Amino acid sequence: MNESLMDILCCPLDKQDLELEVVRRDDDEVLDGRLVCTECGEEYPIEEGIPNLLPPDMREGAPA
Amino acid sequence: MVDRETATEQVYQPAEDSHLLAETAAEELAALPGDARVVDVGTGSGYVAAHVGEQTGLDVLGVDISPLAVREARDHGVGVVRSNLLDGLTGPFDAVTFNPPYLPTDPDAEWDDWMEYALSGGPDGRRAIDPFLDDLPRVLAPDGRAFLLVSSLTDVGAVTARAAENGLAAREVAEESFPFERLVVLELAHAE
Repeated sequence: MNESLMDILCCPLDKQDLELEVVRRDDDEVLDGRLVCTECGEEYPIEEGIPNLLPPDMREGAPA
Repeated sequence: MVDRETATEQVYQPAEDSHLLAETAAEELAALPGDARVVDVGTGSGYVAAHVGEQTGLDVLGVDISPLAVREARDHGVGVVRSNLLDGLTGPFDAVTFNPPYLPTDPDAEWDDWMEYALSGGPDGRRAIDPFLDDLPRVLAPDGRAFLLVSSLTDVGAVTARAAENGLAAREVAEESFPFERLVVLELAHAE
């Protein structure tokens, strides 16, 4: 995930800003880490370069 | 971990609708400045995002709810975010593209895999289109434009009416006829 995306992403629950916590990165992008909502504190994982902004209840399993 | 072959069978691959949307959007967006923000919702394999990006030189972000789709789109060189429609996005976007599931489906049908989910538009074909239209004004820049692929099977009039309820003006910018349906690209913008 390119860090410039921070400008256009938000918490899917309350639409507030997110804070980036980097665990692993390469020259181009963040590979693993977290996006944390500055308002409600919900955490959204970044895995293999892909941020997952689904709310917790939609994160697992097949489509519902 | 799902193997790649199974994953491809579970991700919508480019078809006539994808081509019509990709070509129309690439033409319409050719004049945007290089730093314009563009997002392709329900990007699937990433085809529309990649095609628009290659033709216009713009950076196009791909969004999908399916974990298999975002992985495949990323493999095709598209920057991706996993999100339900526009939920995790704030914008403002200069352009939005969306080739939604639009086939009306049996209300009793269950979506037990990602491919069915990618195709099923619900009883009226507008399961994904209606919430997209309801949320689009929030993320669309004041002079931004969205390009939405719809089918005659989806009831283009109902889609246009839903857009109007949300303060969006719709106009047809491309169409292609097939034996059982007509595909249309609607351009959506904030109504004046």
